[in-house]
Amino acid sequence: MTHLAVQHVSKFYANGTQALADVSLHAGEGEILAVVGSSGCGKTTLLRLIAGLDQSSAGAIAVGGQVMHGTHPTISAVFQEPRLLAWLTVAGNIGFGGRRLKPAERDARTEALLGRIGLAGYGKRLPKDLSGGQQQRVSIARALIGHPGILLLDEPFSALDPFTRASLHDLLLGLWQELKPTVVIVTHDVEEAVFLADRVVVMRPRPGRVSETITPRLSRPRDKLSPLFDAAKRRVMQAIDRSLSEEHRPPPRQAADGSSLWW
Amino acid sequence: MSVAAAPTAEAGVAVAVSPHPARRWRAWDWLLALILPVSLGIAWEWAVRAGHASGRLMPPPLRLAETAYALIKSGELQTHIAATMTRVGLGFAFGAVAGTAMGTLTGASGVMRRLLDPSLQALRAIPSIAWVPLFILWLGIFETSKLALVALGVFFPVYLGVLSAIQDVDRKLMEVGRVFGLSPFGLVLRIILPAIMPTWIAALRSGLGLGFMFVLAAELLGASEGVGFLLLDGQQMGRADSILVAMIVFAILGKISDSVLVGLSRPILRWQDTVRDRL
Repeated sequence: MTHLAVQHVSKFYANGTQALADVSLHAGEGEILAVVGSSGCGKTTLLRLIAGLDQSSAGAIAVGGQVMHGTHPTISAVFQEPRLLAWLTVAGNIGFGGRRLKPAERDARTEALLGRIGLAGYGKRLPKDLSGGQQQRVSIARALIGHPGILLLDEPFSALDPFTRASLHDLLLGLWQELKPTVVIVTHDVEEAVFLADRVVVMRPRPGRVSETITPRLSRPRDKLSPLFDAAKRRVMQAIDRSLSEEHRPPPRQAADGSSLWW
Repeated sequence: MSVAAAPTAEAGVAVAVSPHPARRWRAWDWLLALILPVSLGIAWEWAVRAGHASGRLMPPPLRLAETAYALIKSGELQTHIAATMTRVGLGFAFGAVAGTAMGTLTGASGVMRRLLDPSLQALRAIPSIAWVPLFILWLGIFETSKLALVALGVFFPVYLGVLSAIQDVDRKLMEVGRVFGLSPFGLVLRIILPAIMPTWIAALRSGLGLGFMFVLAAELLGASEGVGFLLLDGQQMGRADSILVAMIVFAILGKISDSVLVGLSRPILRWQDTVRDRL
């Protein structure tokens, strides 16, 4: 439950290409923010900056009101691939995310999470014995065992089949409701963004910047088949279309609804 | 047609999901592998006994067995084996520890790599046997110079293996460590060392193989005991049988040491998910 603010962040790579140009966004406590956009729009770069894995070239990122440098104990992440440590058991991998906890507390939470992700009794198995979907469940449990204030997800379900993806959406929302972390999820799946997020940030490429922010305004649990859901999806898709057609214009001074400059 | 094909397809699936895809060595495989050496041995034994060959330069199998038996009975062979294995064991221990430490240091730190690696690579370019005169000059003709030579032989493959394995550690796993708050030292301990374990074991194995090569070189160049001495002694006495027995002993010792190393590493590498499944 931590407030996240990205303020005028730019990122240049060593070869001179600009990945992000003056990106500002915020996520309130316990909010789910989805970041969508075509490939090359800097979504993943933005997430890496928030995670503290890369340094921004300009601007600042504040967590709970404090400007952060490098990785932060309250920020946790799920990557596109499960990235489990092959030499640790399933339980060991989940516990790895809670290294700051006392061992007894860590073991208790690991046990509870194993049940929660539907892998009770799998604690002593090795990652190689799990399916891709199961591995990603473990990766989500690893990210949540430390009760992070901010959970970052970088296209976590893109490599999974639609059935597994839907069940992981439910799992993620269930855990989110229990622990209420602030969530930033990067995805290229519009339906996923609308299903999960309180607000959808649309980015556009070359260099990556925020195009606009859409608020689906749907109550939870969301029904993917309802007309309202369809309408929200269409609004996001139209925003993506606009972002692509505006690609060659200079970036706007501020987002249309002004929300990205609210602090 | 499709009905007829179904059982085959099912069998194929069953094979694919079996937990141990690597083929086990069965009795039949052993038999197959033994056909060539055993039949050659029998043929040679017959040729010598029938008087078609003298067997002086290439003694037949039973002569070798007699020689080996005599050497064991007198306790000579055991002394030689103990001497050689002590040299290999100690030299391997020193070389492996030094190679692992240096490899970890240069692999984990760019500064240390730029500082140390060029010099080590230059030293590696010297054929290791070329060190023998210097080692004898520095360390004397007894055990120390032999140990140093074995350790040197073990050092380089272990060093190179550890260094390149560390550089090959998946950046993505390092990021996991960083996100979950590992310190640089924690990264080495919790991510790098486990990740390089398979390559490290492989490097130790090739180091051990070289260790045997170098112990032989050391013993050939001057020793009063050791399996290499037995070899040299056989040459000087014109006894092909003890030369061959020494060679066979080397083969057996090398194979046993390697198997012990593999056996020790097996539980550590249980997590590996590779085609070979196990070493």
